[in-house]
Amino acid sequence: MLITLSHINKIYTTGAVEIHALDDLNIEIEQGEFVAIIGQSGSGKTTLLDIVGCLSHPTNGDYWLNEAHINKLPDSELTTIRNQQIGFIFQTFHLLPRKSALENVQLPLMYARATRTHQQDRAREVLTMVGLQDRCTHHSNQLSGGQQQRVAIARALANKPALLLADEPTGNLDSQSGNEILSIFEELHRQGQTIVMITHDPLIAQRANRRITLLDGRMIADESTESRTQPVLQEL
Amino acid sequence: MLGAIFRDALKNLSGNLLRSGLTMLGVIIGVASVIAMMAIVEGGQVWLVSSIERLGTNLLFVWKKRLTMEEKRMFAGRNLKLRYDDALAIRERFPDLKVAPIIEIDAQVKAGERNYSGRITGTSPEFSDIRNFHPALGRFFQTTDIHTWNRSVVLGKTIAEVLYGSQSAIGQQLKIGEHRFTVIGVMEPKGEIYGQDRDEMVFIPITTALRFFKGNDKIRSMIIHVPNRNQMEEVTHKLHQFLIQRHDGVDDIRVRNQGDFLGAVDQTIWTFRIVLGGIAIVALLVGGIGIMNIMLVTVTERTREIGLRKAVGAKRKDILQQFLIESTTISVIGGCFGVILGIFAAYGFGNFVAQSMPGGGDWGAVIKPTAIVIAFVFAVAVGIGFGLFPAMKASKLDPAEALRYQ
Repeated sequence: MLITLSHINKIYTTGAVEIHALDDLNIEIEQGEFVAIIGQSGSGKTTLLDIVGCLSHPTNGDYWLNEAHINKLPDSELTTIRNQQIGFIFQTFHLLPRKSALENVQLPLMYARATRTHQQDRAREVLTMVGLQDRCTHHSNQLSGGQQQRVAIARALANKPALLLADEPTGNLDSQSGNEILSIFEELHRQGQTIVMITHDPLIAQRANRRITLLDGRMIADESTESRTQPVLQEL
Repeated sequence: MLGAIFRDALKNLSGNLLRSGLTMLGVIIGVASVIAMMAIVEGGQVWLVSSIERLGTNLLFVWKKRLTMEEKRMFAGRNLKLRYDDALAIRERFPDLKVAPIIEIDAQVKAGERNYSGRITGTSPEFSDIRNFHPALGRFFQTTDIHTWNRSVVLGKTIAEVLYGSQSAIGQQLKIGEHRFTVIGVMEPKGEIYGQDRDEMVFIPITTALRFFKGNDKIRSMIIHVPNRNQMEEVTHKLHQFLIQRHDGVDDIRVRNQGDFLGAVDQTIWTFRIVLGGIAIVALLVGGIGIMNIMLVTVTERTREIGLRKAVGAKRKDILQQFLIESTTISVIGGCFGVILGIFAAYGFGNFVAQSMPGGGDWGAVIKPTAIVIAFVFAVAVGIGFGLFPAMKASKLDPAEALRYQ
């Protein structure tokens, strides 16, 4: 099992008001799954992403990622886990301005203390994977939204993470660019990459092979589309 | 990795040149003022020390102490004044020493139609050697002039020109007050020292001065040359004791050597160093506060960037390093410009003093490498010190919150 969430609770306290963002959540995700987490705003999906992404700790409950007991680890080790095991893709891309596509993709490699040559080689490799081999030296403001998101995907893949974590990856894109991004996800999924994608759009969630629906911090549905995973199995 | 962070810092700073420039300005002014002020103080010290040494070497100065009314009453009737006899007694008791007693008289000098009102110095032949101040034409007076109350006069260069123009002054007759004198020499040009223009001095034999202008034997001071530098302290002490004994046991005189003056200069210079250096360092600190202010703004502006960096694996140490390097880069670049500006300011001010201060002709700023090093190191320390708080703030940001900061 790649991800095990067991009795996860997250309670925010703002002044005298307690908000139960996640309420006794139990989820298991296997290696190679493409999971969509669906829910309206306020359903707790962003909170769940923060916990799965090791950006914050649950109030209580246990979280294992790739056999590491995440909620027992100090912040400094979470940083290493984020760097090595998780690739983030955000709605607003979060590329650094005044930096080329190549430099943006090098960032996680730099924090992994890779050599400069390896940083550049690997960054070119992943940019080629997302079809941007001729855009390496372009700065983010010279790229279209779809291209920026593909740079972000390349950055997420740089350290060969166990888990790709996408937060509304098509939210800021037109439907055609969004479609391209989802195609890349499908391709990565075919290659065995585990992907967890958060979205509020059921149509986009259809592209995943498993859909978990959240409402008010609880899981209310967990459906699989076997037909979509079938070709993968056949290929294997 | 450090290289990459440093390139990032340069890129960020050049991305907002106006802001970076204004932030640096504080450091530039701070560093420049440390260097300029140090250079001016050091220049002042060199100037003061050299002007003391130009008085001549191995010198002792003797003059009368000012007594309070009470002391005057207490010592009434004792032999208190500094007298020509004292000078003669010193010569007899310490034959190795050259002694020049000095008195000063205000009088008018007349040569035909031209005249000059000013100070006349009465002294002995030793004065010329002791002060290393010699006649360019004719001669200085000699022991025989002293013994015979000779009415001979030696003129400073400027006075000779005022009275006789391009004519030769030697052998000319002139009147000092009501008395007729013969010009026997004209001094070499020597320039100003302590606001006294030595080219405007007029010398007559001390005995002549006492006899014709004073009517008593009180002298103003003595300059004494000690042949051996190592004996300065010992001779100063012995001479003082000798004079106290001659003055019926009353210590009414001061005996000082050049070392005493140099010591006083040193003390004054240190005071200036501390005061001016303090002001300059305050300027640097203000520059540092400017850096902190801008770095805090930068951290806020780049909260999302910090969140992203943390999400992809930047440790707290990495973020801290990044912002510290940025603030240090500001202070290092500012420091470099400050050094250049400081050197220009120091020389500019040195020239200004040389031209505007009386007798400051050979005054110049002295830039010591240590001053540059101190200013630069301090600037970098300010960059690190004041960059630390914003950098800590950045490194402690919560990644989940920082990523979604609006």
